[in-house]
Amino acid sequence: MEEKVLETRSDLFEFASFDEFESEHIAAPQYSYWKSVWRTFVKNKFTVAVSIVMIILVLFALIQPSVSGYDPLIAPNVTNPEMRFLRPSAEHIFGTDNVGNEVFDVVWAGARNSIIISFVCTAITMILGVTIGAIWGFSKKMDKWMLEVYNVVANVPFLLLAMILSYVMGAGMGTLIFVMCVTEWIFVAFFIRTQVMIIRDREYNLASKCLGTSTWTMIKNNILPYLISVIMTYVSRMIPSLISYEVFLSYMGLGLGVTKASLGRMISIYTSYMNGYPHLFWIPVIVLALLSISLYIVGQKLADAADPRTHM
Amino acid sequence: MSNNAADREVILSIRHVDISFDTGNKKKKFVAVKDANFDIYKGETFALVGESGSGKTTLGRAILRINPCSAGEILFEGKRISGKISKEEDRNVVRSIQMIFQDPAASLNERATIEYCVSEGLYNFHLYDSEEDRIAKVDKALIDVGLLPEHKSRYPHEFSGGQRQRVGIARAMIMDPKFIVADEPISALDVSIRAQVLNLMNKLQAEKQLTYLFIAHDLSVVRFIADRIAVIHLGRIVEIADSETLFEYPLHPYTVSLLSAVPMPDPVVERTRRHKVYDPSVLDQSGAPAEMREIRPGHFVLATENELPKYEARIKKLEEELAQRTQ
Repeated sequence: MEEKVLETRSDLFEFASFDEFESEHIAAPQYSYWKSVWRTFVKNKFTVAVSIVMIILVLFALIQPSVSGYDPLIAPNVTNPEMRFLRPSAEHIFGTDNVGNEVFDVVWAGARNSIIISFVCTAITMILGVTIGAIWGFSKKMDKWMLEVYNVVANVPFLLLAMILSYVMGAGMGTLIFVMCVTEWIFVAFFIRTQVMIIRDREYNLASKCLGTSTWTMIKNNILPYLISVIMTYVSRMIPSLISYEVFLSYMGLGLGVTKASLGRMISIYTSYMNGYPHLFWIPVIVLALLSISLYIVGQKLADAADPRTHM
Repeated sequence: MSNNAADREVILSIRHVDISFDTGNKKKKFVAVKDANFDIYKGETFALVGESGSGKTTLGRAILRINPCSAGEILFEGKRISGKISKEEDRNVVRSIQMIFQDPAASLNERATIEYCVSEGLYNFHLYDSEEDRIAKVDKALIDVGLLPEHKSRYPHEFSGGQRQRVGIARAMIMDPKFIVADEPISALDVSIRAQVLNLMNKLQAEKQLTYLFIAHDLSVVRFIADRIAVIHLGRIVEIADSETLFEYPLHPYTVSLLSAVPMPDPVVERTRRHKVYDPSVLDQSGAPAEMREIRPGHFVLATENELPKYEARIKKLEEELAQRTQ
């Protein structure tokens, strides 16, 4: 009985084939970094809504002034007292100000200059800061004297420097951009230097070195791709803060001259009508706040989406 | 392996190499490796075994010119590669000596595709005629290590540990190196895929006549893969021998205690196993300073003049024991 069970017949069995390479196959769909960034970004409804607000505000600020043709030196209604201090209405959306100008035109013209200045400054400081910071983080020799430069530049009082430079160079958009870039880049460079130092000695960089990769290629392919997210975070903080800076400097009388529309100078003039006509003060402030906050939120969300840890 | 070392070609020699690091205190330097002195023959697998912090990785990295030697020199194919060398020679060394890293997850650039990871060396030395040639080379390198050409567009995080380590091997092999420093290539891997990577390394060695410096702490692995073994302890090499000789006739007390720590997959043996604790005070430090002395052809041990008779007696005893067992 037992023997029968144990008996095996070879013709009942056959060899199963086995494909060695089949086990190496990856079933997951192709991963693409930028596609995943986009997917993560648009997944959040709130982010999409804020992005739309931001895009509308920025586009409006960039386009509306050329339609309205607002010029701070021309006040067509200055001789007409009936046009002054009108409350917001269907005809005058944001009302009119002390010289009879449409506040609506004034606000967007000012916002445009603020946006242009902050975007240009951010671009300049980021390009300078990231380039210098990346080399700074890699080179031990450069680190020694760059730290001294940093200590000096970082301790220059910003307001003092801004005052002196705007008196020397004269008020204007170029001066303002120069003032804001002249010290800011070193903070970016220092920040990037620290980030580079953190990942510089990781093993994959050592592996690249063993393969004979040059420092430049290593910065470009091994270091900067890891820093996209932190750079994005930095940019998202920098753009709104530079807008506020511009407003602040203009408010102090150090920013754009009287020939250029400026949110800061408008706010400083309108402050004196705070009691009778509070809308003159609040409207530019609210537009400024909306612009800064939406830019900041979109930047932060983009930075989050750029972090591959959120892609899963 | 044969003991007639004289007629074998030396590919790499380490000559009295010291490696030290700055400690912040200018007077005191930390000496990581002291007076390392050995040759590696062409086509063999030379294992460097020691506990954590014994300086084995430091020495491996010195060969790749990552850590500078503070004394002595390293010769590759008869030419000095330590210290300052010309740019051309440096590029030659980079091409001829490659490294396989311990942690496959940390040693691949996670923001680059496998295609870039594997082609990196090709780009640096422009080792391809055209774009198609480069892709063909990458495909071949991937197939050689058992991966698929379709993996080119993938990112390292999509792979398992064993697959990532094989990408690391492909990246080194595409350079057509002569000498490979494998720094604990399997200690970060799952036990189930260790054999896979070791077999792959053996296969590639046979195909391409490679020479390995295999850095490890796992003696059972070393016995499987290595032809010769050097045992390193606190920056000093204490014993060098053919792999079977070392396991049969361990002389230095540190080697003895290291071998006694190897776990046996046999519960009976394991229960009766007695760990030997290494006690440096048993060493006789009097007399001439300890240096590597050849006690049998190809079998070196770190010993002072006074210690030699003791080791001689020990090796004789072991030889007799072995003779009795085989009878």
